[in-house]
Amino acid sequence: MSVVDAVDRRRIRLVGLALVASIAIGTVVSVGLDVALERIFTVGFLTRSLEMATPIALAAVGGLYAEKSGVFNIGLEGFMIFGAFSAAATMYLLGGTSPTQGHVWIAIVTAMLVTLLLTVVFAVLLIRYKADQIVAGLAVWFLGLGFAPFTAAVIWGSRSSPGLASIDTIAFGQSPLVLLTVVVVLAAWVVLYRTRYGYWIQAAGENPEALDTAGVDVNRVRYAAVIFSGAMAGLGGAVLLAHAGNFVGTGETMVDGRGWIGIVAYLFGNYNPIGAAAAALLFGALDMLNVQFQTVGIDAPARLVNLLPYAAVIVVLSAWGKTRMPASVGEPYESEE
Amino acid sequence: MTDDREGRVRAMVDRAASRMLDATVLERIGIAIASTLLALLIGLGIVAAAGHNPFRFAYQLIVGSFGSERAVARTLRYSVLFVLAGVAVAVAFRAGVFNIGVQGQFVVGGFATVVTIVRVAPHLPNGTGSGIVLMLIGTIAAIVAGGLYAALPGVLKAYSGANEIITTIMLNFIAIGAVGWLVAGRFGDPEATATRTERLPEHVELPSVVFDDPNLSIVGILLTVAVVVLVAAVMARTSFGYDMVTSGYQETAATYSGVDARRMIVSTMTLSGMVAGLGGAVFAIMIQGYFTDPSGIGNYGFDAIAVSLLAANNPVGVVPAGLLFGGLESAGSHIQINSDVPVQLIDGIVGLVVLFVAVPELFRIVARRTGLGGDDE
Repeated sequence: MSVVDAVDRRRIRLVGLALVASIAIGTVVSVGLDVALERIFTVGFLTRSLEMATPIALAAVGGLYAEKSGVFNIGLEGFMIFGAFSAAATMYLLGGTSPTQGHVWIAIVTAMLVTLLLTVVFAVLLIRYKADQIVAGLAVWFLGLGFAPFTAAVIWGSRSSPGLASIDTIAFGQSPLVLLTVVVVLAAWVVLYRTRYGYWIQAAGENPEALDTAGVDVNRVRYAAVIFSGAMAGLGGAVLLAHAGNFVGTGETMVDGRGWIGIVAYLFGNYNPIGAAAAALLFGALDMLNVQFQTVGIDAPARLVNLLPYAAVIVVLSAWGKTRMPASVGEPYESEE
Repeated sequence: MTDDREGRVRAMVDRAASRMLDATVLERIGIAIASTLLALLIGLGIVAAAGHNPFRFAYQLIVGSFGSERAVARTLRYSVLFVLAGVAVAVAFRAGVFNIGVQGQFVVGGFATVVTIVRVAPHLPNGTGSGIVLMLIGTIAAIVAGGLYAALPGVLKAYSGANEIITTIMLNFIAIGAVGWLVAGRFGDPEATATRTERLPEHVELPSVVFDDPNLSIVGILLTVAVVVLVAAVMARTSFGYDMVTSGYQETAATYSGVDARRMIVSTMTLSGMVAGLGGAVFAIMIQGYFTDPSGIGNYGFDAIAVSLLAANNPVGVVPAGLLFGGLESAGSHIQINSDVPVQLIDGIVGLVVLFVAVPELFRIVARRTGLGGDDE
């Protein structure tokens, strides 16, 4: 596939993405009484959608790095749960139920580090001990679903935390974490397509033998990519918490499938960080549609509208199901020295 | 060490390793037991770290799972659900299709049972006979609903390449949300204080017979055993089962021998969903007697993934694995009342079991290093 081809396909995808979004929303709106579009697409809606999209985008960027390097990190959802919980626990330990903005930032960094450490163990199991990537990834989810509410119950006596603090907005009512995510996404794109490290990651997934011949340790590249993916998912979870302001550990926890949606976001974005972020924005907007409907007075059942992102994922996967995976995803690499 | 000797040692290790990779039945059982024990040990360590007495917790695990007749009945009740859901997962995983949507298919099946019985019951006379007919109709409705709900991601995978892991997880969220909405709305019982459907009529009830537990029936146990035997027979003795298992291990070989891979995916998913739906029917008729908001019914379909993996996706192996999980779940309800240790720990232990099962290499290396278990079992 030539570069031109890749660019073309990407464009087609992005156009498709916009179409799906506008048709879906347009239909819903025209059916739900004749409400003027401008009352749905408000600045507030954009702000909320961006906030909702950031955790998904961060997880997606991490996940696509791991998969590009040849390891399927299906544990994103679980790492997000660990990230969200660690951020809440750190905030509470530092500042009780009224943490300061400084505490919020420390909590975000701590959550990322905790998740990073957990991913190191995960990466060793996957790469050194050749764990089944799908089963081990599911295990991470189960571990998150069990241990995060468990530890929450130990700390707070309940599966959810009391109200903590959410991050203050900066200019134009935007969260600084949204800007941070934009920077991360752009940096991820530059590193992946414009630097040596990016080429190593791509080669580790497409043609590990060639990379090995060139004298680069394939497994070291994969370790780096997987650990990065876990840290990004943890950051995503922490960002989700910093926007929400408290941890919810009931049901499937507050992460509620966003890690899985992150995987779909990067598949939809064709493993391109910018495409993945755009897809995350689509899912974030669908997630927030409910609020818009309520403010303009469309009487759609909230519980059903909340299912829209999940339905959109299925539609997207079915329409763009055949993404070209890196050639060596899921195959452990052993150097023949 | 000379190069020559190093080479020979290397070759020996390689040979040992390749023999290990061909996991025998015994070795798989060993790995399952080691995974479970290790997960439980870590669980106890966490109990101690959280400031509770691990010995007391271990004691409560045993008492809560089979310390009394009531506990045994409760363990069996949960085991029935874990075995049925576990068989559903095993069918799919064995054929190389990752149906993570058993939870959703279970929910859709159970809901279909209740709705069908409640709607049909007024047209039939009261009595044991029509009770049996209603239960049969309700169960068939569950099997059909579960099968269809699983066939959808099967079709999407087979004909448009949509990854079934993700579509089935999304369909779980959708099933729980949509059924929850229906239970709270159109199908809700306006007179009930809790969010639930109408109760099943009095005469729709399975006899207890052996245990004096209103939520455990010998019929449920026998039905579960029958499903295990039937599915095991289909997989081991029929050409359909052979094609299915071959598709899982050697897709190209299956294709060469004339198996339509796409149709196989759809049939596998459908069969898996039918068993999951049946599990939902048993849950609805034998245990609940109505249907509540599915976000609070328990994670049978998720834990079933662990059950199936522990059993190396063998439907017969699902029985002991299901009993183990039934015991854990039962101990969980005991612990919730009689201990300060948060019951979510059990979910965490389940996660550890799955994690260890995913890394058989870890146990092989330990076995090799310590010489325990030998390498020729």
